[in-house]
Amino acid sequence: MKRSRCVCGFMILVLLLFAFFAANICAGSVRVPLRDVLEILLGKEREAVFRDIVTEIRFPRALSAGILGGALALSGYLLQILFDNPIAGPFTLGISSGARLSVALVMVVFLGNSAEPGFGVMIMAAFAGAMISMGFVILMSRFMDSASMLIVSGVMIGYICSAITDLVVAFADDADIVNLHNWSKGSFSGIGWSHVAVMFLTVSAAVLAVFFLSKPIGAYGLGEAYAQNLGLDVKKFRILLVLLSSALSACVTAFAGPVSFVGIAVPHMVKYLFRTARPAVMIPACFLGGGVFCLGCDLLARILFAPRELSISTVTAVLGAPVVILIMAGKKQKGDIR
Amino acid sequence: MILRQPVENIYLAASAVMDMFVSIDALDHIRFSSIKPDGWYIPEAREAMAVGRILYAGSYSAPDYEKILERGCALAVENTMIYHTPEVKEQLERLGIPVLVDYSSYESEPMGRTEWVKCYGLLTGREEEAEKIFEDQARKFETVKEAASDKEGERKTVAFFYFTANGGVNVRKSSDYLARMIEMAGGAYVFGGTREEESASSTMTLQMEEFYKTAREADYLIYNSTVDRELTSVKELVEKQELLTKFKAVQEGNVFCTRKNIYQSSMELGTIMDDLHKLLTGDWEEMRYIYRLFGGQSAE
Repeated sequence: MKRSRCVCGFMILVLLLFAFFAANICAGSVRVPLRDVLEILLGKEREAVFRDIVTEIRFPRALSAGILGGALALSGYLLQILFDNPIAGPFTLGISSGARLSVALVMVVFLGNSAEPGFGVMIMAAFAGAMISMGFVILMSRFMDSASMLIVSGVMIGYICSAITDLVVAFADDADIVNLHNWSKGSFSGIGWSHVAVMFLTVSAAVLAVFFLSKPIGAYGLGEAYAQNLGLDVKKFRILLVLLSSALSACVTAFAGPVSFVGIAVPHMVKYLFRTARPAVMIPACFLGGGVFCLGCDLLARILFAPRELSISTVTAVLGAPVVILIMAGKKQKGDIR
Repeated sequence: MILRQPVENIYLAASAVMDMFVSIDALDHIRFSSIKPDGWYIPEAREAMAVGRILYAGSYSAPDYEKILERGCALAVENTMIYHTPEVKEQLERLGIPVLVDYSSYESEPMGRTEWVKCYGLLTGREEEAEKIFEDQARKFETVKEAASDKEGERKTVAFFYFTANGGVNVRKSSDYLARMIEMAGGAYVFGGTREEESASSTMTLQMEEFYKTAREADYLIYNSTVDRELTSVKELVEKQELLTKFKAVQEGNVFCTRKNIYQSSMELGTIMDDLHKLLTGDWEEMRYIYRLFGGQSAE
C-alpha cells in the first residue's frame, strides 16, 4: 500500500512538473500560437520573435523556476528535520536576510560610485551574505546543544541583518532604494541560459550530497539520542545539514532574490501526499514538489494580471499559507502535532 | 490653509521642481531640501547647499520636523511619493505646514509639465518671470515641431526604457509627456500600442517577452539612466540583457543613453525635445541630454 502510494505520488509530481513546464512555455504576456510553440520545440523554422520568446525567455525561465523551486523546498525540508520544527525554513536561519544585506551593500557601493554591479557580482554577493549568516549559525551551533536554541539564534541573526539593511537603506539614494526594493520582491525574470547552467551545476551537486545523507537524516529524524547511539556525530551532521541547506537557499536568493514560503509549505504538502517521512522518498519528492509549486506560482505571477507581473513571493505566500494551515489543522485534529 | 505671497523657507521634496525655481530666480525661497547635495544635478542647487543657503532636512519619508519647524517653513512641496507615507503629510499639516503635492511629472503634454512653473511663480511672486520662461520654452517647442513636420517619410521608431533590478523593463506609458515629446519631435514611440495598466502612474513595467516583441525592431533605443546609471558602452547595456544583441537598433549601432540630469531639468524640455529631434535626424554631436553609445554587442 505504502509502496503503491509512493509510486502514485511520484507519478503525480512528474506529470504535474511536465504539465506546468509546458504551460510556462506555452503561456505568457505575448500570445504565441500553440502550433508555433510545438514546431519551435521540434526545431522547425518559425517567426524569429516567437522563436526567441520561447527559447530565450520562457524556456530558461521555466527551467530556473523548476530548479530553484526544488532547491528551496529541499532546503526547507532539511531545516525542518534539523530543528524538528514545522515552520523552519531558509528565512528562519537568517540566510535570506544575510543575502539581502550583502546585495544591498553591493548596490549602494557600486551605484554610489557610478559603477555597475553586474549579475555575477550580485550572485557572489548573495552567496557571500548567505554564507556569512550561515557561518554565524554554525558558530552558535558549537555552543548550543539544543536545536530550538539554534533556531532562536537564526531568527536573531535574521533580525540583525534586516536592521543593518534598513540602516544601509537610510543612507542610500532614492535610486538605490528603488533598485533594492525591486530586487527584494523576488523574480525569475531576466534569467538566461548562462545562469541556468550555473544554477544547475550548483543545485545538482547539493541535491546529490543531500541524497547521500538520506540514511543519517533518517536516523536523526528518530531523535538525536537515537542517532548518536547509531554512531552519528550529531554536531558535525548538523553543520553539514546547515551547509547544504544554506547553499541551496543561497543559490535561489542569488539568482531570483528572496522567494518566501516555498521552503516551509512544500515539505508539508509532500508529506501529506506521500504519508511517509522516509528521507529516500522525501528528498526527491520535495525537490520535485518545489519545482512544481514554483512553476505553478510563476505561471500565475506572469499571466494573472498581464502585462503587470506579480512578485513571486506574493503568489507563493498566498497559495502556500492556506494549504499549510489546512494540513496543520488536519494533523492537530488527528493528534499528530505536539 | 492660506498661503501668503511670497512663500518663504520652502521645504522641497520634489526633485523635478528645483529647476523651475532656478529658472525664475526664486532659489532663495527654498530653505530645505529632501535631497543631499550630491543628489542634485542642478549646479545652483548644489552650490546653495554647499554654502548652507539650503539645508538638508531629511528625505520625503522621514523629514527632520524639528529643523523644518524651527526655521519657519511656510510650505512643503512634495512629489506623489508622499502618498506612500501619508503619516508624514499629516504630521506636516498638524505642525501647520501646508503641503503642496507636485503632479508635473504626471502631465501628458510636455508644455503642461512646463506650465507648472507658473504655479511656483505665483507662490514666490515671480509671475512675470514664470510667464516669460514658459513662453520661451513654448517657442522652442514650436520650432522643433515645425522642423519635425517638415520632414516627410515614415517615422522612425524609438524605445525609451530601463531594466529594473528584478528583470522587468520599465517604460513610459504612451500618455506620458516623454512619449509625446518623441512623437512631437518626429518619431514614433514604439510602446504606443502596448496594453497599459490602468493606474495614475506615468510608467509601467513590462515583462521581458512583451518588451522583446515590441522593441526588437525599433530603430532607436534610448536607455533611461535616471534610476539606473549612465552607461558608457553598448556592451554594458547588452550585459544587462543578452537578448539585446538581436535588437535591430543594437545591430545598427543606434543605441543611446540619457544623461542623469534629464529628469531634474524640468525647464529644459524644449532642449530635450530638440535633442530627440537631433537624434532622429542623425545630428548626434550637438545633443545635450542624450548621448550615443558605442562599443561591442556581445555580452561576453
